[in-house]
Amino acid sequence: MERDLALIIPEIIVLLTGVIALVAEMLRLPRIALTVTVIGLLLATGMTLPLLGADTSIFGGTFRIDMLSVWAKLILLPATVLSVLLARTELGGSDREGTVYSLVCFVTLGSLVLAGAGDSMLLVLGILLSGLGSFALVAYPRNDSATEAAMKFFVFAAVTGAIMIFGLSYWFGGTGSTLLSDLSRLEEKPVVAAVGLIAVIVGLGYKASLVPFHFWAPDAYEGAPVSIAAYLSVVPKIGAILALTQVVRDLPMSTGWPLVIAVVSVITMTYGYLAALVQDNVVRLLAYSSVAQAGYFLIGIVAVGASPLAFTSIIVFSAAYAAMNLGAFAVVMHAGRTLDVFSGIGRKNIAIGVAMVVFLLSLAGIPPLAGFVGKFLLFGASIEAGFTWLAVIAILNSVLSLAVYLRIIVPMYQQPIITASGSAPIPLVKWVLGITFTFTLGIGLAAQVLLGRLA
Amino acid sequence: MLPIVSITLFLPLLGALLVMTLRKAPVQVVHAIGIVTSGLTLIGVVRMWSRGVNETGFAQLEQLDWMPSIGAAYRVGVDGISLPLVLLTALLFFVTFIYSAKVRKQSHAFVALMLLLETASIGVFTALDAILFYVFFEVSLVAMYFMIAEWGHEDRQRAALMFFIYTFLGSLPLLLAILGLYLGSDPHTFDMRDWISNPPLNGTAAMLALIAMLITFAVKTPVFPFHTWLPAAHVQAPAAGSVILAGVMLKFGTYGLVRFAFQMTPDAFRDAGIVILVFGVVAALYGAFAALAQSDLKRLVAYTSVNHMGYIIIGVAIAALATDPAIRATALDGSVLQMVSHGLVTGALFLLVGMLQDRANTREMDQFGGLLNVIPILGWSFVLAAFASLGLPGLAHFPAEFQIFLATLQVEPVAVIAILGIVITAGLYLRAIGKVFLGEPREKWTNMADLNVREVLALSPLLILIVVVGVVPAWVLDVIHKTTAALQF
Repeated sequence: MERDLALIIPEIIVLLTGVIALVAEMLRLPRIALTVTVIGLLLATGMTLPLLGADTSIFGGTFRIDMLSVWAKLILLPATVLSVLLARTELGGSDREGTVYSLVCFVTLGSLVLAGAGDSMLLVLGILLSGLGSFALVAYPRNDSATEAAMKFFVFAAVTGAIMIFGLSYWFGGTGSTLLSDLSRLEEKPVVAAVGLIAVIVGLGYKASLVPFHFWAPDAYEGAPVSIAAYLSVVPKIGAILALTQVVRDLPMSTGWPLVIAVVSVITMTYGYLAALVQDNVVRLLAYSSVAQAGYFLIGIVAVGASPLAFTSIIVFSAAYAAMNLGAFAVVMHAGRTLDVFSGIGRKNIAIGVAMVVFLLSLAGIPPLAGFVGKFLLFGASIEAGFTWLAVIAILNSVLSLAVYLRIIVPMYQQPIITASGSAPIPLVKWVLGITFTFTLGIGLAAQVLLGRLA
Repeated sequence: MLPIVSITLFLPLLGALLVMTLRKAPVQVVHAIGIVTSGLTLIGVVRMWSRGVNETGFAQLEQLDWMPSIGAAYRVGVDGISLPLVLLTALLFFVTFIYSAKVRKQSHAFVALMLLLETASIGVFTALDAILFYVFFEVSLVAMYFMIAEWGHEDRQRAALMFFIYTFLGSLPLLLAILGLYLGSDPHTFDMRDWISNPPLNGTAAMLALIAMLITFAVKTPVFPFHTWLPAAHVQAPAAGSVILAGVMLKFGTYGLVRFAFQMTPDAFRDAGIVILVFGVVAALYGAFAALAQSDLKRLVAYTSVNHMGYIIIGVAIAALATDPAIRATALDGSVLQMVSHGLVTGALFLLVGMLQDRANTREMDQFGGLLNVIPILGWSFVLAAFASLGLPGLAHFPAEFQIFLATLQVEPVAVIAILGIVITAGLYLRAIGKVFLGEPREKWTNMADLNVREVLALSPLLILIVVVGVVPAWVLDVIHKTTAALQF
């Protein structure tokens, strides 16, 4: 028991951080809440470092301390810090500011539970924990669009969550256990395995915004504050992706899950980019882009068990995605939500222009940026797993993605349509941009730093 | 030993960073940085040239660990195929910087982008690691996209978009092929030298990889029917962009054809040799006929590029089909020299058309007439470059095309039909010279100024080299031949 507790110190710290932030907010001390949150999350990140290389499970196998869950902490906790800094810029001084920090901690905790889930009940717990906080975060502005978005989000989550629990009951019936590691017993029970698999894809797919369970995402992102949209598009999504990875690694190949995931992957990325192509609102555009990027994550999942590159590629792409997506949202927060305000912004503020171009080209997968390394490894994994056609479709989608991202880049260097604010971003946003920019470039050029630790 | 290849490779990048940090520097200083940096780069390449190449394999190797976990490393070096192209690249960038010293629009960004493009271009030719190659290959695309989109002509945005998406789409199959070669190699590595000395794929897998690579390089070269982006991009690109696009970036396609397709999947390439040959012949003839139909000088030169690139494809295909190593070497010698010649000649032609447009704001042939008397230096320079382009003996294209056709005659005589292209280009260039430079000078052009010192400085290295390569090609051919003669195929 003591050993088990020692291994989840980071999670415990995040939990305590959320609680203390809540108390601070109750005392009307939002600055304290902010400070506690940032320090707590960084401390949790630091406490994760000794766990690198661990591969074990705790509490009777229900929670895994492995490569996926450790790296989830190393990626999601700093990403949460950056989101919090963005939220401070956007929502600072507003009523109930401290609750945002507290809620963010709980959602991150839920995402970490998902990423390390070794038991189907932990999947449910993670979904609920990250879901409940998310609804509140989306509804934070308390205006019509935010409330509507949160409502949609909530209803969607409730339905998909119920379906997942229903499906998981089949797995429980089939294996006699809720442990994911016992899923191998489903070898002889294809129907049971299939029902459960589909239910899990529905439940986690909503969280990761896979098509066709993505409908809530553009609305929720649009209704929510930009910083919250940035956060939701990164942290819970990566958590859900890693949870799906945890599930399939124990699922017998004979159930044919790789093909199912591959098909979902193709639909998700293609639909995501096609829908992004017709958006005029940059937040919605990025929302659909993040839907499509979820499809890319699935390419790595398809290769789990068949290619040694699978875990590596998922983790590298997670880190890359967190950096570039947060960066792109940070620029949107600075500039504005419509495509019109982006016209001429690259001429007005060269640094912002260069940063945005780098984030978007990285999202499109252009070397030598982070997104390229991630996608390259994903493609490699899928080809090694015998899914060359999936890599081909993903590569074709990269072209579509370029068209999507150029829709933002092209006007940035044209004459401004409306006089956008040429103001420099405030220091906190500058910090976030600087850090995400460094990582977007750094993961691309110095991928070995990551790869060496993943080997 | 000084790592001269890496220094040469990253010098322009350093220059670009310098320009970006000196945001307040006056325009003249910025252009001076561009010229000096590219000049130093040229000196670096000359130093590389003096060090020479090896009989077998690559010379002047420099490497550093990069991503050892997946077998990718920073590896650069040159052989007889790449070294002449590196020299061409450095030279073309140098003269382009001189020519572009007049650019006043966003000159900081212009110089920085051009320098970035120079590093990417030299990188493509010197990279010996497939990932590194791909990185430079794509970075050059991004830089050229902004070049066209920002400093191009009227319809630049659309042309830039088309160029970017088209060639990006084109480059992705290469990524697949690289992954295939990587997974086929044992142990897994991205070292291009290993892939060349020990081709990792065979059978169907090799053929699929070859097809993927051919698509990429056919778009880049460009080969009919993948050429449609080229006229659009050229017409809209600024003159400096056109020079680099035609002079350097088209060579990425033909260089890749030799380096990747020909060397890494040799058996599949041999099997597909006839098909590739047909594509080459069609490209050569199509380019010539399409050029014949143009009235816009820039489009005309752009289409003759399709024609000249066609000869290179023919040469490489013949090299694959040839059984006699001597003939193979001849065909490859011709192809590589043709890349160099085309860079020099087309670079000069695009500069000249750009200079003409600077003066007249039009490129329509019908608008001109009798300019030889008004602007004799520009006029005679154009005549020289045009004669070179149509393959006149004593000028740069002749020794290259001669060798290609010589080898073709010995291996696949029917393909010599492509020589028709030379006749057509001769006709169209004579027509263009007649319309623009001969006859009675028109009233409105009588005050046109001839070339100034800057323009002469930009142009003369190219014109001199066109003659030098034409008369004594041996100094380039010796370097090329050293590698092609020892090539394992």
